[in-house]
Amino acid sequence: MEPTLRAGDWIVVTDLVRRPKVGEIVLVRDPRDPDRLMLKRVAAVADGSCRVLGDRPEESTDSRTFGPVPLSNVLGRALFRYGPIGRIGWLWRASFVK
Amino acid sequence: MFLTRLLKPTVTASAHCDLPCGVYDPEQARIEAESCYKIIEKYNASNDDQFKTRAIVIKEKQADLAKHHIDVLWSDYFKPEHVQKYPEITDLCWKAAKQCSKVKGSLDLGEARTLLDMIDKIADVWTKAGGPQATRVQKAVAARA
Repeated sequence: MEPTLRAGDWIVVTDLVRRPKVGEIVLVRDPRDPDRLMLKRVAAVADGSCRVLGDRPEESTDSRTFGPVPLSNVLGRALFRYGPIGRIGWLWRASFVK
Repeated sequence: MFLTRLLKPTVTASAHCDLPCGVYDPEQARIEAESCYKIIEKYNASNDDQFKTRAIVIKEKQADLAKHHIDVLWSDYFKPEHVQKYPEITDLCWKAAKQCSKVKGSLDLGEARTLLDMIDKIADVWTKAGGPQATRVQKAVAARA
């Protein structure tokens, strides 16, 4: 998810509440390994599932590999980065940059 | 410091992915370590300087591969619940990775033997943790016979 997200970023994730929108960064369970959580960008939302992609397609493992993610496996929406200090900022804005 | 501890996230999510194919087997490391063992044997039995030079180069490469496979097992296959159940695995992987470096820089057959034994101990834990069933694609019955 670079350059939007980097290893070691501290992120506030809110409950999903509503269906995710295209462009938003969401916290999802890896369909292949439910213990593994991932942050990915929503590329499309269909009935009951959404397609997620990384920001760097050449290096990302995403719905192109593991298929659409059921909405029940979308746990929340990335809202705000509160660390490191130099990178503090809203992430919902990042959703619209893409 | 207190504030940092308080604010530090409690859940880790991955954003940059590798491709977790889910196939892990200490046998990969063992085959590379066996190569090192056999190469050292051949090195000691040879009087051909050119052969000996090649043997050293190839042995160093195989030792690096063995280390890589041990690292992959440790960082990708073994999960916190495995460590909780088999706490010795941390030390086993760490020491085996270090032993790979020893084998890389040595022509002592004993060091290569030690590495094989260490990998076998890792394999014991991998087997106890259900690795063969969880990570390998089972062979057809006919192929096993």
